[in-house]
Amino acid sequence: MSPVRLVARREVTERSRERSFMISTGITLLIIVAVVVVPGLLGVGDPSTYTVRVTDDASRAVAERAVALADSFDAQVEIVADPDADVTLSGGEIRAEEEPDDELVNLLQVANQEFDPNARPPLRLVTAESADPERDAMAGVAFFAILVLYGQLLTYGFWVASGVVEEKSSRVIEVLLATIKPKDLLAGKILGLGLLGFGQLVMLSVFGLAVAGATGTVDIDGDLLVACALALGWFVLGYAFYAAAFAVAGALVPRQEELQSSTSPLTMVILVSFFVGFVVINDPDGTVAQVTAFIPTTAPITMPPRIILGEAAAWEIAASIGVMLAATALLIPLAARIYSAVVLRTGSTVKLSEALRLASKQ
Amino acid sequence: MFGFVGPNGAGKTTTMRIVLGVLSADRGAVRWHGKPVESAMRRRFGYMPEERGLYPKMRVRPQLTYMAALHGVKDPEGAADRWIERLGLSERAGDRVEELSLGNQQRVQLAAALVHEPELLVLDEPFSGLDPVGVDVLSGVLSEYAATGVPVVFSSHQLELVERLCEAVAIIKDGRLVASGTVEHLRGDSGAVRVKVEGDPVFDVPGAQVLDRGPRGTVFEGADPDAVLDAARAAGRVTYFALERPTLTELFREAVK
Repeated sequence: MSPVRLVARREVTERSRERSFMISTGITLLIIVAVVVVPGLLGVGDPSTYTVRVTDDASRAVAERAVALADSFDAQVEIVADPDADVTLSGGEIRAEEEPDDELVNLLQVANQEFDPNARPPLRLVTAESADPERDAMAGVAFFAILVLYGQLLTYGFWVASGVVEEKSSRVIEVLLATIKPKDLLAGKILGLGLLGFGQLVMLSVFGLAVAGATGTVDIDGDLLVACALALGWFVLGYAFYAAAFAVAGALVPRQEELQSSTSPLTMVILVSFFVGFVVINDPDGTVAQVTAFIPTTAPITMPPRIILGEAAAWEIAASIGVMLAATALLIPLAARIYSAVVLRTGSTVKLSEALRLASKQ
Repeated sequence: MFGFVGPNGAGKTTTMRIVLGVLSADRGAVRWHGKPVESAMRRRFGYMPEERGLYPKMRVRPQLTYMAALHGVKDPEGAADRWIERLGLSERAGDRVEELSLGNQQRVQLAAALVHEPELLVLDEPFSGLDPVGVDVLSGVLSEYAATGVPVVFSSHQLELVERLCEAVAIIKDGRLVASGTVEHLRGDSGAVRVKVEGDPVFDVPGAQVLDRGPRGTVFEGADPDAVLDAARAAGRVTYFALERPTLTELFREAVK
């Protein structure tokens, strides 16, 4: 077996056996169950109650018919005078501030049709906000995607760094480098932890989809599967980029205690990307979204929501991936050189400028 | 067995790291059996760095298996089990290294260096921090291993131990070799003789200089030992008579002055 594979295998087996890994995976699974199942339980328990306001007699007749029909829709409808009602029926229109529930709209349409199917046109839906029923659902998926990417990049990047420091502080690095090359050790470590992170994401996605499908909370359609695949793909891109940087951050310090400070610039960058991700979800075609798609530090978190929301053109996706790959291809050899140059400096923290100087001398 | 000694900062660890390829040398070359050392050869060396050199959270058996596999051993599990048994670690094979006593950690470390049956064993300060029993166990294993014909090189500040265990030593200072050879050769034949006569009478030996005169006897240099003995017997009852040879500690002090 090649040294890289040996190192990678050790990373996977040792990390996955750690209690902290099992606990954090278990907690994540529980959170998924909670997010997916709980809203469903709350919604299914009682028939939904809707409020309808009417402005004219024709509308009142439709509304009253809807009240009578509501039972067979497992819902309740009340006619109210309150202007805050879910919808207002007026002159053949369903008016609402926001997109009303499909169930209510269906119910009203059926009630309307019962009067005179041929003479009456279907009710028109008029909402104050632009109507795109998929928009909210997809924004939720996009939010979930950036949350998972943020957590996964941060966790696995930090594990790379702390793995490097563990080898430094225990001096096991000396024994390892007596048998294998530093770049093989680094490659194996990044590869092993990357596989573990990818595998965990796949498992969480499959589990989440299975639970969602079984409980019927979310429709498992092509869009959702594409979103999951995207999150996985961008995890690979983002991880390859950040892991190399985190390895350098780890190689600079002698002990775990100093790791927080040397990785903090990287964790800050990931955190900022996370917040930019929110901006992008709200405005997926804005300047921020367009610019950050081509910055390798932010793209892994800001690009997936744009793609999920359908606001990224194919050329943009291709270019963004291209920038990401190019940046990673430049960063990895540089990181490997810095790592090789400083990883044996077990005495004290090495400044980045000093590390660069040492790396250039090699 | 070969002892590698020198004051702190002389370059012992650096030299060992260069031999193992952990560091690259500014100048010079490392040769093994007359050939420049390259990485395939190095995988057949065994190395134990000063302090630890193991994954603290990894369990003993997987750790040794991993080390064996990295060195290209065909049956890493078998090799790990063999050395676990040989160093009396069977009951600890499933423990994490950090949970072991220092003595047992040292054994695991030694097993990690030996698990691939190296052709050359290099150990950096293997005896530091060990109690006398631990020193005995370790020196026993090392002597046994060296007896199979494998060169064992180790650095130490415990010069009495080096003197007792090693056939040959090298003394370095500021990165330079100041003395090397068998201990016998280094101690040499100073030609001096220490003799003690009951009652400590003052006497001289014709043609010899007195290097030292005190309660532990008189040291003469430059005369035949027989002549010194004759003169001493003439002076009284001889209670001590020996060739005066420097200890490794004295050689060390002299060499690094």
